Amino acid sequence: MPFLEKPLRSKAVVWTLIVLPGLWPLWPLFVTKNPSVLADPLKYVLHHLGFVACVLLATVLTFSPLRVLWPKWGVALALNRHRRLVGVSAFVYGALHFATHLIYEGGTDTAAIPAILRTAVKKNFQLVGMITLAILTVLAITSLHVFIRWLGGKAWKNLHRLAYIAAGLAAYHQAIARKTFPMQVVWIFGPLVLLELARVWKQRTPKAGQASELTRSPAK
Amino acid sequence: MLIRSPKDWELPESAATPEKLYHLSKRRDFLKSLGVAGAAFAARDLLGATAGFPSKLNPDYREPALKPTAYEAITSYNNFYEFGTGKDEPVVNANRSWKTEPWTVEITGLVEAPLKIDVNDLVAKMGGVEQRVYRFRCVEAWSMVIPWDGFPLAKLVAAANPRPEAKFLKMTTFLDPKSAPGQRSGNLDYPYVEGLRLDEAIHELAFIATGIYGRPIPNQNGAPLRLVVPWKYGFKCVKSIVKFEFVAKQPMNTWQAMASSEYGFYANVNPNVDHPRWSQASERVIGGGSLLGSRQRTLMFNGYEKQVAALYKGLNLEKNY
Repeated sequence: MPFLEKPLRSKAVVWTLIVLPGLWPLWPLFVTKNPSVLADPLKYVLHHLGFVACVLLATVLTFSPLRVLWPKWGVALALNRHRRLVGVSAFVYGALHFATHLIYEGGTDTAAIPAILRTAVKKNFQLVGMITLAILTVLAITSLHVFIRWLGGKAWKNLHRLAYIAAGLAAYHQAIARKTFPMQVVWIFGPLVLLELARVWKQRTPKAGQASELTRSPAK
Repeated sequence: MLIRSPKDWELPESAATPEKLYHLSKRRDFLKSLGVAGAAFAARDLLGATAGFPSKLNPDYREPALKPTAYEAITSYNNFYEFGTGKDEPVVNANRSWKTEPWTVEITGLVEAPLKIDVNDLVAKMGGVEQRVYRFRCVEAWSMVIPWDGFPLAKLVAAANPRPEAKFLKMTTFLDPKSAPGQRSGNLDYPYVEGLRLDEAIHELAFIATGIYGRPIPNQNGAPLRLVVPWKYGFKCVKSIVKFEFVAKQPMNTWQAMASSEYGFYANVNPNVDHPRWSQASERVIGGGSLLGSRQRTLMFNGYEKQVAALYKGLNLEKNY
């Protein structure tokens, strides 16, 4: 698929794909003036930012299983050039989502923040969201080269496996955000789960060559 | 300085029906079919007709400090899961193929005068409609102020003449999966059921709404008639009722059946009893106009403490949320 591979190699294209969803709320707010959105604009923005954060987090985690499953597929290779950029953008959207929550709850009055946080730690739903963001914050900071060098490849890789826990927590946070189960959680995180299962299955199954090697009888 | 005080029949600009919604009103076509003369019809409509009944503000239920939410916000930001779980879905999906006319209401159960009656005849029997301006507080921590047109539920209860063993009033929403995509998807257990204790049902504030801002209640707000109990969370205010049933035992309401740890039978607005996932101490004000919006303190029993607190004397409100 060279028509996909080539643009996906470009940083500018990926940047655009990341920034555009953040601008989306301008459409219903200022262009179509959707009355349902205008009823409580900040709530729409709050949910939208959280939604984009979930999509980006689930998306970036599919890059590596895609490469394992289809090591010669150009698109998978192109995507894997952008793991840090997409991962950090998931953190940025998550942080904006959290900042919007603070304004949604307390307005621009910073004195209200301690009370909001006190409430948040008492509610599992909100606490899980904050733990997710805390993990993403650590991962975003340690994505700088200096930390990779400082931690060493193996420790760094292990630390960044926390992203899977963050994804699980984000899915939970999103799943219980509404009064009934929102199907979008399945669309967002379902593909990631399937790809991960396929990757595990592939890595557990010995390759054809290895298999014959293992079963070869020394007597022959 | 001269301060012009608007007459109670004057509608704010915000009350004007957007043309798109105007054409969506099936009840209006019904009115036409009644043969109401064009000019008279138009005048009547502007004055505020609810299924053909002129509405007049009842000043006893109009706190001057309350600023009604814009008509457009009330009628486009809806929780009506029968037509989708998104706030913007009911305004679209409830105005496709769903017919709210004709509409028959059944009054049944432990009553002396069971009845099956067309909704318009019911309104006539109840003596027409009046307008009341009530606070509306959703369990999701947002609020509106809504000018409802309708009649007191107590009138309906009196007409039904419940037997002494009737202790609760169970109310059921329509069931029509063909027209209601939410009922097809099964996002909740349908038909939607709500209930009140009989003493709650005959409380002066309990109201059956058939209009908003003097106009027939739009489909997405629960046409042609819905419950309004302003001291309780919005989900108690069951929409598009087809059955009023007087029963001896406390009915299981839909949201309690769905998640009893989050939603109870009483659902009284209470800033001191949190929802498991969020605080109920304050609420977002819908349709505030500004982009950041605003938040206000939630009042005990949604500001109707003086009127309803006596109903719950001795009841543990933390357990009976």
